[in-house]
Amino acid sequence: MASNMYENPTPATGMKPKQLRHLVWRSLLLQASFNYERMQAGGWLYSILPGLRHIHKNKKDLSKAMKDHMEFFNTHPFLVTFIMGVILAMEEKKEDREAIRGIKVATMGPLGGIGDALFYLTLLPITAGIGASLAVDGNFLGPIVFVLMFNAIHFGARFGLMTYGYKAGVNAISKLKEGTQQVSRAASIVGLSVVGGLIATYVSFQIDYVWKSGETELNIQTDVLDKIMPAMLPLAYTLLIYWLLKKGRSPLTLIGLTVVVGLIGSFLGIM
Amino acid sequence: MLTESILIALWAGIIGIDMYVGLTHIHRPVVSGLVVGLILGDITTGLIVGGTLELIWMGMVPLAGAQPPNVVIGGVIGTAFGIIAGEDPKAAVGIAIPFAVAVQGLITLLFTSLAPLMHKADQYAMDANYRGIERINYLGVALLFLFNAFIAFLPVFFGAEQAAAYVESVPQWIIDGLSVAGGIMPAIGFAMLLKIMLKTEYVMFLIIGFVLAAYLEMPILAISLIGLAIALYDFFQNKDKQDPDKQAPREEEITDGI
Repeated sequence: MASNMYENPTPATGMKPKQLRHLVWRSLLLQASFNYERMQAGGWLYSILPGLRHIHKNKKDLSKAMKDHMEFFNTHPFLVTFIMGVILAMEEKKEDREAIRGIKVATMGPLGGIGDALFYLTLLPITAGIGASLAVDGNFLGPIVFVLMFNAIHFGARFGLMTYGYKAGVNAISKLKEGTQQVSRAASIVGLSVVGGLIATYVSFQIDYVWKSGETELNIQTDVLDKIMPAMLPLAYTLLIYWLLKKGRSPLTLIGLTVVVGLIGSFLGIM
Repeated sequence: MLTESILIALWAGIIGIDMYVGLTHIHRPVVSGLVVGLILGDITTGLIVGGTLELIWMGMVPLAGAQPPNVVIGGVIGTAFGIIAGEDPKAAVGIAIPFAVAVQGLITLLFTSLAPLMHKADQYAMDANYRGIERINYLGVALLFLFNAFIAFLPVFFGAEQAAAYVESVPQWIIDGLSVAGGIMPAIGFAMLLKIMLKTEYVMFLIIGFVLAAYLEMPILAISLIGLAIALYDFFQNKDKQDPDKQAPREEEITDGI
């Protein structure tokens, strides 16, 4: 339990609006070191780093916090500032590190889904559609209108959510202080339901093979696998990777394995 | 052609960064059309080709980190070819697609090759070396710039048609294989999350989320709300149990009943 706490448990002084704004600008680099092992982790740590340095003057505490924030992270880049605000408020209060981690993991999945729906599937088609319809008529205002409209909402969301998340974090979390274990438990429940859903939704693993025998055709994916259980291959593959990770295989090996699976599947014409 | 090729390469480098960093969306084909048109001295054609590509490629967005065919290179090459060869916008789409798909595969490789850097980052985190973390991110930005600038330069300089022939000479199964692998890749991220969060007592929630998405095809937001509802129920259940005031009478009731 002691290792879950920081060496210096005194709450840090609050962040000024100017400092928060600086962090919003840094959040633009969230995906600078994007990769298949940790996804946005490097950019996430980069984005909140000045905040962490303000909060943890103790070098050992800073190192602990930095290590935790290098763990796998992936959310929607436009909504990340909300999580940044909440997490910084928690760090500032020197909350239990397990709870901080739990909140981070539990918020990133749902915000990822909300952000995709809101920005990539709604805002982008509307604004780019308006811009493109002007552009195909040869009107140079098309691209300009698109960029202005899109970014008014984009940056509005980034700056607004940072302040909102930070305030929400400070208020809500002080109320929940006594119940950090319940909070991490609740966070795990939400987080794991979402991960279960994400596996079925976003891992695309399909067998593209039709078995023919005389007149009968059997599509392996739709007629066999989907009948047994939809999204069976994504689940099976994720669990296989999970098992291999637990066995101590490095994520790098598993990324390599996945590339090989894709190439073999494509070479044999079954995927 | 050298000056134009270099300017187009610079633009591709900048918007190659924008696609992942900044995300002001100046990397969309509708904007590229205007800029490439400016560089090649034919704004109207640039706008028309860019706008056409935009309308066709509207759905090409990175959902949950999966890579769609690359609109940065597709938009730049498509517009450049449309203007230089005087092709109609639809033909420009045809030439842009093999590039967009090939670069999609290359991006999968780039994001794979960046993974080892994370172990360096772990070391920096351990030493509380914030400069190191910053350097890694700036290195990523630089790589994105060079990668996109280089890929955009060659076909514009040597002629898009010839370059397209090279792209098409890469066996289709390799390009397909990389895109299949890119589709499966999110599994690794999710498995790493499971490694952090999953305890035996929580397995049921993973199952619930999976069933809601796989069988009922619910959107992620709906699933997270159901997860939240369960978490709230669980929270108040446990709170009641721990609260001695509420706990005591309940025990009495039970003893009374028996």
